[in-house]
Amino acid sequence: MSQQAPAPLAVGDRVGPGEGTGTEPRARGRRWDRAAVADRLFLLPVGVVFVVLFLIPVIRSGWWSLTNYNGYTPDYDFVGLANYGRLFSDTAMVSGFVFTLLYTVATTLVVTCLAIPLAVVLNRKFIGRNFVRSAFFFPAIPSIAVLGLVWGFILSPLGSGVINRVIETFGGASVPWLSTPGLARFSVILVGVWSQVGWHAILYLAYLQAIPEELTEVAIIDGANGRQRFFHITLPMLAPAMTVSQLLLLTGGLKVYDLPVTLTGGGPGYSTFTLTQAIIQRGIAQSEFGQASALAVVFMLVIGLIVAAQLAVARRLERRIQ
Amino acid sequence: MSILTNRPSPTSGVRRAPARVGIAAAVAGSLLALSACSTDGEQDAGGTTTLSFFSWDGEPVMAPVIEAFEEQHQDIQIEFSSAPPVQEYISTLQTRISSGTAADVFIMAAENKTNLIEGEFVVPLTGEPFMENIAEFNQQTYGADGEVYAMSLSSWGGGIVYNREHTDAVGMSDPPTDWDAFRDLLADLEDTGVAAFYENLQEIPMSLQALVGGSYESDFTVDQRIFDGETTFEAEWTEPLQTWAALFEDGLMSPDVVGLSGDQILDEFANGRVAMMATGPWSLPTIRETAPDMDFGFMPFPAPAGQEAYLPGAASPGYAINSATDNEEAAKTFLAFLASPEGVQLYNESSSAITTTGDFEPTVDPVLEDVVEPIREGRVYLAQISWPRYEDVLMTTAVASLQQVILGQREPADVATALDEVLEQQS
Repeated sequence: MSQQAPAPLAVGDRVGPGEGTGTEPRARGRRWDRAAVADRLFLLPVGVVFVVLFLIPVIRSGWWSLTNYNGYTPDYDFVGLANYGRLFSDTAMVSGFVFTLLYTVATTLVVTCLAIPLAVVLNRKFIGRNFVRSAFFFPAIPSIAVLGLVWGFILSPLGSGVINRVIETFGGASVPWLSTPGLARFSVILVGVWSQVGWHAILYLAYLQAIPEELTEVAIIDGANGRQRFFHITLPMLAPAMTVSQLLLLTGGLKVYDLPVTLTGGGPGYSTFTLTQAIIQRGIAQSEFGQASALAVVFMLVIGLIVAAQLAVARRLERRIQ
Repeated sequence: MSILTNRPSPTSGVRRAPARVGIAAAVAGSLLALSACSTDGEQDAGGTTTLSFFSWDGEPVMAPVIEAFEEQHQDIQIEFSSAPPVQEYISTLQTRISSGTAADVFIMAAENKTNLIEGEFVVPLTGEPFMENIAEFNQQTYGADGEVYAMSLSSWGGGIVYNREHTDAVGMSDPPTDWDAFRDLLADLEDTGVAAFYENLQEIPMSLQALVGGSYESDFTVDQRIFDGETTFEAEWTEPLQTWAALFEDGLMSPDVVGLSGDQILDEFANGRVAMMATGPWSLPTIRETAPDMDFGFMPFPAPAGQEAYLPGAASPGYAINSATDNEEAAKTFLAFLASPEGVQLYNESSSAITTTGDFEPTVDPVLEDVVEPIREGRVYLAQISWPRYEDVLMTTAVASLQQVILGQREPADVATALDEVLEQQS
């Protein structure tokens, strides 16, 4: 009978001797129920925050994307998929899409290629190791918008720019870092890599320190050289870290906003314009909430697809490597 | 004054409680934290009205004005908040309006005036006694369909700030008054090896705004006629665009300005690496602080032959009353004080703004003496103010297209064509 069936155990419930046999008094079952309810109540604040700050805005964005809502007046009309039809009709959108993808792919690849060797170096014992680790981690601490403004002076296309001054000291000519489309894109990616590589190296370092020393010692006894140890022990053991790191780099890259805005303002022309900038510009500055919401919905789906694909590939690679 | 008052936190009295009470408190706390806070005006038992005011001037500028107002009107307390201009202010106000929590009095800027007026979020101020001293130009800027919706107390105008050390070196005794003489001056300065002139290309450049304003020949209906389809950007803007672009074609301004921010240009000027820069009065304190020994002047933009000189500039943002306020009378009392000679004087002192009210003569920086009269007479033009709609998308298009002109990727006339295309898409 259902009344005599034991109450289901909640996650984390402790089962003592003689318990879980289905013969406990009903009073104890009620106590377990209360514990389970308490667990869920503790989750409630987080659940409320998730619903209010994520779920409801996503649903509302989906609805607004089907309307001509301008962000001010509550009177708006249902326009169907018209906003989606206009998404990539102008140059700014296409340029924003292209540069966002370029930035994401470039920073993900370059940061990964630099952070792993850097982590290996930082994992070795040398004088001043903690200082060097801190120095590489430092760019992750300040706001990226502040870094963008500072790098604007460093990469100034004038002779007074820090890098150009160094170049001129050695007899070279000033380089128009932020004044030509190609160099401006390169500069934004360069600063993006610089600001993230240390943080991701520390992430890899945490995983490196979890690799059992016995594995390396056995490999040394078996005569493996440094390269073989790296590719056959270190790299496979870092596969889970690569999954996490690349996930963060991909999502961060696709959402990039503050660095291009502060460093180049999205220019010259639209050369460093990003999709997030387009969403904010359309929604806030141009009062086209409907259009901006449509872009945000498509953007969210694209990010979801890319991240799902990345996770699937990474998990598969992890299994193959391990 | 409430902005200077520390109010106790509503949760400061919570005692330690048993687990179940703790859970309930956590739930209630999270719900409370997420609930919107109304800023509707309210009257306490003592009869004091709390009037909320959202500004884009910060506390240092507004505090003296508010303190003087509260001293005179002890039955009204101002609840002050602010956000820096422009984008952050606009987005914050937009959010507050759409959530029904906008302040009783807020700033209406050129960038949001169309949405605020068309959405009927602001009270018409036409005919109010305190509007009598507001300059006609300022009223026109924040008016529509015969009504005025915001009280603008001041105007601003840009010009060219020049380093006399450099201009004296090429023999400039008086600032040039026509465009050709200005070009000659730039060429002479470039010949000395110093960069002659920079201006901010992250916005529609000031010199182009002045050229367009001058080409309109005081006909302020031109932009409206473009929007009505009676004329086009191509017809009205191509000539000023060509005049402006020739500065780059002839090597009188470096294309590197495309990659410079306004702050970087200011830094170049303050450090003597460029002889002249386009800017507004707001840069003067920084120049004086960075280069206290620099001898500099401020001149209006010269106009091409046969045209009247215009300044890039506009009526400053105005004070508007929320149409949903419960405290309209208190709000009008506050606006009346702001427009009074005492209120304007306090604002002039704290902001250094060039006020334009009829019954108060502002104190302005002596360096700006050549531009005060054009500003007070309304001989200023700013495209994004003059355009009746789609200001931001047109401005974004213009800036990107102008940068492409400088990089040689487009012709000057293409900028006007691009603006016409955007206008057609938006309409």
